[in-house]
Amino acid sequence: MIKWLLGKKSTEPSKAHSFIIDELKEQIKSELKVGSELTYRTLKKDKQKLVFCFMDSLVYKPGLDEFIIAPIQKNAKLEWTCEAIAQILPISDLSAVNQLDEVVTGIIEGKVYIYVEGQPYGLQADVSKTVERGIEKAETESLVYGPKIAFTESLIGNINILRHNIKDPNLCMEDLTVGTRSKSKVKLIYIKDIAAEEHVNGFREKINQLEIDHVAGATVLGQLIENNSWSVFPQLVTTELPDRVTIALMRGKVVVLMDRSPDALYGPTPFFTFFESTEDVYMRWNMGLGLRFLRLLAAFLSVLLTPAYVAVLTYEVIPSALLVSLGQSRANVPFPPVFEALLLEFFIELLREAGARLPTKVGQTMGIVGGIVIGQAAVDAGFTSNILIIIIALSALGSFTTPSYLMGTAIRMVRFPIIILAGILGGIGIMIAFCFFIIHLLKLDTMGGSYLSPVYPLRWKDLGYSFFRVPTQYLSKRPITNHPIDVQRFSAPKAKKKDVDE
Amino acid sequence: MKVNLHPKESLLFNAFQLIFIIHSVQVGVGVVGLPKIVFLETKHDAWIVVFFAGVLTSVILWFMIVMLRQYDSADFYGIHVDVFGKWLGNFLSFGYIIYLIACFFVIFMNYTEIVQVWIFPKLPTWQLAFILILLAVYAVHGGIRVIVGVSFLSVIGTLWIILVLFVPLRYADFTHIYPIMNVDIKHMLKGIQRTSLSIMGFELIMFVYPFVKEKHRALLYVQIGNLFTTFTYTLVTFISIVFFAEDGLSKVIWPVISMLKIVRLPNLERFEFIAVSFWMLVILPNLCLYLWASSKGFSRIIKRTQKMGIWIIAIVAFGASFFVKARYQMNMVTDLVAKAGFYAAFCYPVVLSIIVYLKKWLARRKKSHVKSA
Repeated sequence: MIKWLLGKKSTEPSKAHSFIIDELKEQIKSELKVGSELTYRTLKKDKQKLVFCFMDSLVYKPGLDEFIIAPIQKNAKLEWTCEAIAQILPISDLSAVNQLDEVVTGIIEGKVYIYVEGQPYGLQADVSKTVERGIEKAETESLVYGPKIAFTESLIGNINILRHNIKDPNLCMEDLTVGTRSKSKVKLIYIKDIAAEEHVNGFREKINQLEIDHVAGATVLGQLIENNSWSVFPQLVTTELPDRVTIALMRGKVVVLMDRSPDALYGPTPFFTFFESTEDVYMRWNMGLGLRFLRLLAAFLSVLLTPAYVAVLTYEVIPSALLVSLGQSRANVPFPPVFEALLLEFFIELLREAGARLPTKVGQTMGIVGGIVIGQAAVDAGFTSNILIIIIALSALGSFTTPSYLMGTAIRMVRFPIIILAGILGGIGIMIAFCFFIIHLLKLDTMGGSYLSPVYPLRWKDLGYSFFRVPTQYLSKRPITNHPIDVQRFSAPKAKKKDVDE
Repeated sequence: MKVNLHPKESLLFNAFQLIFIIHSVQVGVGVVGLPKIVFLETKHDAWIVVFFAGVLTSVILWFMIVMLRQYDSADFYGIHVDVFGKWLGNFLSFGYIIYLIACFFVIFMNYTEIVQVWIFPKLPTWQLAFILILLAVYAVHGGIRVIVGVSFLSVIGTLWIILVLFVPLRYADFTHIYPIMNVDIKHMLKGIQRTSLSIMGFELIMFVYPFVKEKHRALLYVQIGNLFTTFTYTLVTFISIVFFAEDGLSKVIWPVISMLKIVRLPNLERFEFIAVSFWMLVILPNLCLYLWASSKGFSRIIKRTQKMGIWIIAIVAFGASFFVKARYQMNMVTDLVAKAGFYAAFCYPVVLSIIVYLKKWLARRKKSHVKSA
């Protein structure tokens, strides 16, 4: 996708605005077609004219009145020049501009433009307000254990959280902009002496090269900058958990935060990263290990169970003991197993989608209606067998255990073609799909690194981070998958074996 | 054509991966029939013969690596041009490419046949062949790194089949192997020759060598890979001999799959279905590597893109699959390729490496003569 978005950004030469206030008003008005939102406040003293230009909707009014207009009005002795006004304004973010496009951009950003007629330039003071919600608990990645704080839509607020998490002076934040029209602010965040240069440069270049009118959020930005946009598998992780981002930064990853987007995007993130939860880190290592394996197994079974059922039933390779119960439950079902399985999978997907769209209270009712009523009725009506309901429920549950919502959805979507293949070719069909996905995953990459790392290429030391979870004292090195500059996390304790009763 | 091939740094893979490449490319469709084929020649000493074949392979691998070390970073095609000149060298390379394509063909055809016999008797050959070829084409489009990955994951993913092979040992009668070493030299050599179909594939080291990162360690890892194969084959043959009754082994076609029939799982009746399905993962790296090596030759000799070579070879192989209609024809083709493999993988590389060595030795002597004179 990145390829067709490449292009050079054009820049027009800008010009200084008119020094007569009435003309200036007209100029700004013609640049910004916003109607009554654009407000002017004019002051007069000894034939001198002073104007405040601002957008009604973007400015914090009490601040404007108290810190900008009041000092100028009350100070009778004040000479109306830019330097003098700048001296008395109790505003931290103040700049001098005179280019028309700068003025206009400032006004859109919520700044107030203060101009005294005849002066060579004016002042731009930041009294903007942003509408934002307060910090809340994480919703899409809810946790039992660990910090509950989640990112919000405010970039400043998000950076504040991150800065508080990591007080390393090497924590770098670079400013970038995306969207030729929307001009969203993007922060590229990394720890300078840990994150690999190539990854930082990769992110920076890709974001800078984007030539697109608008990027809807960090998730979309991720889709735009990853290398293979045809794949169902996401190649960069988005998360709303600041502690997850903190852990990622400390392991040498590069994070991208976007204004007005509650998700952080980070990479390089190989396949197994999507199955990591921050809870694995907070738990004791043995439980974390168990849970991580459970999750991987669940994802695997979620993909495999229904196709296996279809393959086994279509090509009858069931032992006699199981045959009786399977046969009984399927005796009323008129459909071939593929159709039966597809029907029920479709049903579950409908339930999930309906549950996600509805308000919480109705959603719960939906679950009961769908799960119990329709499920039981479907069996009674001879639509499906009992056993298939169990299998479908298991595989649906399995796909929901994946911490990344994107990856969970990918796993569920991948199931449909495999079911069809299993219906056509049985076990061979499943194997064809399996081989295809192996090749496909091998072909993918995340920020230029291998997607299946650390399994392929095999990196023993990294397995403890992503595939397994080992006690922390064995993780003295940062994962080499991220090519960290500073490899050492802590100096590994020198093991001195103690004898009994020593 | 340049003799040496210097791929980009990012395309190189660790020498460690050679273990998996060599092992995965050796184990393929041949091994399911290996115990029977060798048993026909050498009776109950087949497992020893298979072991010796593995040892012989290791010697030949040594020859190959020594030959490759004479150059900086050359592959088989480059060496041909260097030794025989442009015309004769490319002609020989072309012959070798045909051998590689034939191997590619035999692998997917044999697998299709196994599937037809064991699972889907009515499945048209071209359908499965088509899918297998497409899978291989898809993988080879990803380049050597993807192929190495496929061979790595294939070995890791199918390692458990070796463990399953211990299940038939419960019904084994170990007296079948006595008397040990009852075979004469003539039959033994014949037996070794018959293993060629199963054990060949290691010749592809001559094609992947330029892509190895630490070339000085290649020999070690290649030998480990071959050792692992030898061990597996000896084990498989040994288990077949002790499991089957005396003449039972000569009557089955694919003894390994027949043995797996007796494995029973509580929720699945016919285990060999799984084994046959899983065998696709075993042959996948073979298909990929043969297709890669032959298409690489195509692009090296004709100087067109490798992608074009991949598609031409895939279409040729697919077209050829329509010409084989009956079991006896497939048998003939397989035997032919096995014989060709014996000469192409076992004999020719040794001859070539001796020629290369002599040539380099002569060149060095000339140099020193010039110096001393």
